[in-house]
Order: sequence, then C-alpha cells, then structure tokens
Amino acid sequence: MEEIVLGIGITALAGAFATVAGAAEDTESDIGSQGDPNSQVQLAPQMGYIHRIFNKAISGEPPAYGAWCAIGAGVAWALMRINFNPALAIILGSVIAVFVQGVYCTSGYLGRTASLAKFQQPVYIDIIKSLLSVTMAHAFVAIFCTVAMCHLMATALHHPFALPLLGLVWGIALGAAGSATGNPFYGKERQYQNQKFGAGVPISASGNIVRYAEAGQRSSLDNGWFTTKFAGPASGICFGLIVFLELWRTVLFEKTVAGWGAIIVGVILILIFTFIDRWIEVWGRKTYGPYTAAEEASS
Amino acid sequence: MSVKMEASAGKLSENTLMIYGIVVALVGTYLTYLNAVTGIAVFSFFGGIGAIAALWWGSDTIKHLCSYGLGTGVPSAGMVAFGAGAIAMIAGTKFGLASPIVTLVLAAIIGAVIGYCANNIINMNIPVMIFSLMKLSIVGALTMLGFAAMCTGTFMFNGLVIGGMTLSMEPAEAAAGGAQTFMVTVLPEFASSLIGGAALTVIFFLGAIALQHPFNACLGPNESQDRTLMLAIEVGFLSMFVVAVMSYAFLDIISATVGVVVSLIGWVYSYKQYIALSKRDAYAWLDAKPIIEVGGNE
Repeated sequence: MEEIVLGIGITALAGAFATVAGAAEDTESDIGSQGDPNSQVQLAPQMGYIHRIFNKAISGEPPAYGAWCAIGAGVAWALMRINFNPALAIILGSVIAVFVQGVYCTSGYLGRTASLAKFQQPVYIDIIKSLLSVTMAHAFVAIFCTVAMCHLMATALHHPFALPLLGLVWGIALGAAGSATGNPFYGKERQYQNQKFGAGVPISASGNIVRYAEAGQRSSLDNGWFTTKFAGPASGICFGLIVFLELWRTVLFEKTVAGWGAIIVGVILILIFTFIDRWIEVWGRKTYGPYTAAEEASS
Repeated sequence: MSVKMEASAGKLSENTLMIYGIVVALVGTYLTYLNAVTGIAVFSFFGGIGAIAALWWGSDTIKHLCSYGLGTGVPSAGMVAFGAGAIAMIAGTKFGLASPIVTLVLAAIIGAVIGYCANNIINMNIPVMIFSLMKLSIVGALTMLGFAAMCTGTFMFNGLVIGGMTLSMEPAEAAAGGAQTFMVTVLPEFASSLIGGAALTVIFFLGAIALQHPFNACLGPNESQDRTLMLAIEVGFLSMFVVAVMSYAFLDIISATVGVVVSLIGWVYSYKQYIALSKRDAYAWLDAKPIIEVGGNE
C-alpha cells in the first residue's frame, strides 16, 4: 500500500514537471518559430513579404526535442556514473543541452536567411541577439523538467529503460505534444490575424503572414506573448496529462492480471479520449462552424 | 517521377567528398586503436574526427538526394540514415579489429535494401535513391562508430556493452539502470555501458540531427556548398563536444579533457567561419533596422 502511495506521489510530481515542460516547450517553439508554422515564415520572403520573425529551421519539434532531452539525460547519466549529485548532474546536462540548442538556433536562422538573398531578405542580426536568450531560457526549463521527470521514473518508479533512452522517448513526446497542441495557436491564428476568423489559410494567402504589430513591427516576442496565454498552458496540460495518466495506469494496475491490467486500462483511456475528442469536434463545428451558414446564405 | 531541382554546384564533387569522408572516418576510427596499443586513452578523440568527416560527406549526399523535391523530408533522411546505420554499426562491432570495415560493408548492404524498397516497392522513383541511401547508411554507421569509439575508447562490441577500456566495473545503482526489476525485465550491470546504458541513443540523435541540419538549415535558392559544408563541420564539432563530456563516464579525466578541448577549439573555429560565410552570402547584414518593403500587398 505504501508503495502505491509513493508511486502516486511520484506520478503527480512527474505530471507537474511535465506540465511546466510542455508550457515552456511550446512558448519556446513559438518564439523561435519552429515546426510547421515555420514553413510560412520561410515562404513569406519568396512571396515578397520581408519580415522580422525568427526562422529557426532545425527540424520538426519532436526530433529536435528528442535530441535536446536525450543530450540532457545522456550527460546527466554520464555525470551520475562518476558520482555527481543527481540534481547537479541534471542541471549540468540541461545546460549543455541548451548550449547545443542555442547554437543550432543561430545556425538555422543564419543559414535559411542567407539562402534567401535572392528574395532580398536581409539577416537581422538583432533578432538573434534579442530572442536567443529568451528561447534558450524556455528551452532550459523544458529540458530540465523533462530530464528531472525521467530521473524520477528511472529511480523512484524503477523504470527498466536507462535515463538517456527515457529522455529521448519523453523528449519526442514533449515535442509532439507542443507541436500538435500549441502550434495551431501560432501557425493558424497568430500568423494569420489579417485573415477572416475561421477561414483557414487559403492558398492565395500563403506567405502573407502578419509582419506589423499594433505599433511598429512584429517581433517573435510578440508571438510568444500571444501564445503564452493559451497555447503554452494547453500544451502543458496535454503533456502533463499524457505523463500523469501513463504513469498512473502503470503504478495502479501493473500487478493486475499479470501485467495486462495496465494495458487494458490504457486501451480504455484511449477509447474515453477518442469519445471526448469526437464530442468536442462535433460540438465545436455546430457552435462555431461558419461554413454551412455562409453557403446557405450565398446560394 | 520527381523532377530534379537545382542543387548548388560546388567546387568539390560528390565523389571527392565521398572518398575523403570514408578514408578520414575509417582512419580516425582505427586511430582510436592506439588506445589499446599504448594503454592510454588519449587517442579516443580521433573517433570524433572520423565521425565529423562522415557527417561532412553525408550532408552533401543529403543535398543531392533531397534536391528531388524532398524539402520536408530532409530531417527524415537523417533519421533513416542512422536507423539503418545503427543496425550495421552494432552488428559490425562484433568483428574485432575488422569492425570498421565490416560496419561499412554491412551499412552499404542495408542501405541498398532500404533504397530498393523505397524506389521499387513504394515507387518513389528517384534515380539516385538506392545509391544515396547506401551512402547515407554508411555515413550513419561510421558516425555512430566514430563517436562510440571516442566515448568509450574502443570500437569493439565487448567494450561497448561492458564498458570502456579504463572502466571500473562497479554496478552503478545511481545511473538509472542498475539491477532492478520492473514488470519482467531484469537488467544486469551492463546498464553502465554505452549500449546497455542507452548512451548510444544520445549518439544516435546527436548524429541524426547533425547530419540533416546543414542542408536543412541552408536550403534555399542561394545555398552554397562551402557554407553548408562548414556548417556540417560546425555541428559535427558541437556533437563531438557533447560526446566528449559523456566520455568522462568511460575514460580517465585527461583523455576526456583532451576530447573536450579539441572539440571546443574546432567548434569555435568552424562557427566563426560559418558566420563569416553567412555574412558573405546574406542579402544584407542589418542590426536593428526596419523591414525593407520589396513588394507584396500589405
């Protein structure tokens, strides 16, 4: 019984870490403009829209965060092997991972922008100077929380995977959660505030991203300000729920039916979430969907 | 049938790059054998140099493969290279002193099979697909082998699953694994080795991200070969730095520090060169200046 109570406590703590990590990850990727919304940032100069948005071309968020968290976890693992204190090892691992991440950010921006010289997109070097520290700080929070969470799983919950592999798996999950949950707020909403609400992104508007702010010119920090309100917390809840429910079902039902209990509960959870998703989608279409009404009115 | 788009023609032909890449990667990996000959591990960093050479060549191969309209597939190409390379590398290390050569041959075979499946079964019909995937698999395998040799000081399978040449064999309970039971899995003290402790995962991802990044970051109409290749060297040294830090777990302090110093010197030099090349290629290099309007209807 005591074991299960400890397990639930660790589960809750890991879920809290994951929530913070998810929120920080999404804010970082929106300020740095990573993932699928970046294709529009990349396209804009080719359509004649020169902009001052960070263009962080590394790869999709899942592989990128898989790499950062694996680096953080791997270095932490190596330092713990030579008897570093786990807290210090995780911090040093995250610092090295963030260093790598920052260097990749600068080379991604410089490379992509320099290759767009044909379309007269200049390199705005102040973008790197002013935004790099912000994205690196958010990335540090995300990586540190993820690696700390993995360490909890490895030591307190006795997960069979080694720390670097846990870092990789949960890093990919973190990037996927941020990419799937948070990015629409940035890519479909913030970049296209000049389009009619709910219109999606028509082909003719491709590359015509919002480049001017309420006063002056839009910086990627403004995008971070916008997405922190909804996208960050939404990604945090998403990743936090993934981690919490995943550990919760394992801790509680691992011993039931010779290990099958946790798997059965997992399938049931997936079914419940499929039902909720479908219900929200139908409800959202009925309540906010503009298309049916507009077509009836015009015909 | 995909249409070939322009890939920047560079001074160095792809075959020249391939020869340099393979030779330096193999020589670098073999130089780590000096560790076993001399009994000190300071030669480990040569493995990292070999891995950088492989990445340097591979980033150019990715450019030629991905110029067939695979813009968003650039990161995936890095992943498939290392996925194929990981199999070849782990199997290849069983062959003792011949390991690097066997790894190369195995990777070529696996790459050819994957390329055949992609081209003839999935019908992607890209003319260079089979040969490119063969080359990318070799790049993946040699990069992992080089970094693994740098991290542990050896490229032999036993060293990679039991520990480096100077590793003391205490079971590391603190290091995540240890002999613990979770459901049915029991992990012996292999958990403190490069493969058993899954540190190879980090090398896998360091290499995969570094392999795809140069072309992915530099693609565009004004991509130039020397800048892309310099970025490949830069991310190679950056990956080598992380591997060097991790090698503190397997090597003695002096050997690991040599790796850290070499990688940092190489990284600083190549990063400065890369920034200079970006400055050369950029349309303008502006600091805190407004948007230049060139058209587009605001």
